[in-house]
Amino acid sequence: MQRARTPTPINPTSASRRWVTRGRGDLGDTLVEILFAVVIIGITVAALMSSLANAGNAANVQRNSVQIDLVMRNYAEATKSAVQSCVDGGTYTVAYAPPAGFTASATPTGNQCPRVSVPVVLQLNVTAPLGVRQAMQIRIRTP
Amino acid sequence: MTRPDVDRDRGAALILAIALVVMVGAISGGLAALVTSSLNNRSTLVLVRDREYAADAVVEQAITLVRAQSGTPLALCGTPGGFVVETFNSIAIRAEWRNACGVIRGSDGTVVAQRNVIFSACPSTGSACAEAAVVLRAQVNFEQSTGAVTRTYVQSWSFRS
Repeated sequence: MQRARTPTPINPTSASRRWVTRGRGDLGDTLVEILFAVVIIGITVAALMSSLANAGNAANVQRNSVQIDLVMRNYAEATKSAVQSCVDGGTYTVAYAPPAGFTASATPTGNQCPRVSVPVVLQLNVTAPLGVRQAMQIRIRTP
Repeated sequence: MTRPDVDRDRGAALILAIALVVMVGAISGGLAALVTSSLNNRSTLVLVRDREYAADAVVEQAITLVRAQSGTPLALCGTPGGFVVETFNSIAIRAEWRNACGVIRGSDGTVVAQRNVIFSACPSTGSACAEAAVVLRAQVNFEQSTGAVTRTYVQSWSFRS
């Protein structure tokens, strides 16, 4: 909005009645302009912070996802390795401890060695600290 | 004397505002792209892992099938022995096997034939596994004197992602 330049008397009582013109650059900003600026900057900063927070959360999820993949692989290999010493009708023990915060389990439970002629399908389940879960099937066989 | 044009810089505010919005948008877009890329990489990792263990599982099944055929005459060396197709971890895998030629000299000096079988697994396409498509190759020895197989020994087991 164009603001009118109003001549301002310096000294109205002066006999000389001198007048000067105050330029717009000397007027400063109005409260509305400042409020608008603050609101716009606030929205921008909020959006930026929100993006950063989302990126941080996504990074945590990503890290857990990579770790959960590693835990799943290690658990699967430990299970298959344990079955290598199986005998028909026996049981096996998986020597694997997941990292802190992670849980690993297999279904069916019981760690029964498969019959020689009947391999068994195991469902492996791994849970990460932030609730990320993964499941995978493996097949075990008595050698 | 001319008066300086004090309104000449008024447009700069708009340019600065647009620049700020563009900068924030670029940063947000970059972060979103980073997250998306990471998640895509994770999906690829999971797919590769699932395929690896699917091939592993189907070859285990194939080994059991070959073990059950211990009473039948052996096929010629190098000739296809059979195949099995199975879907595991939501991935269809084809496992093929062929007999490998092998002998070993026993403790008494006699030459003993070895029953070694080479297994190859690949994503199922409805036809035989192409060499470039093989994701798992294994060689297994079947211990067998007379009658049924008593034990199997994995001699090699390698994956290609």
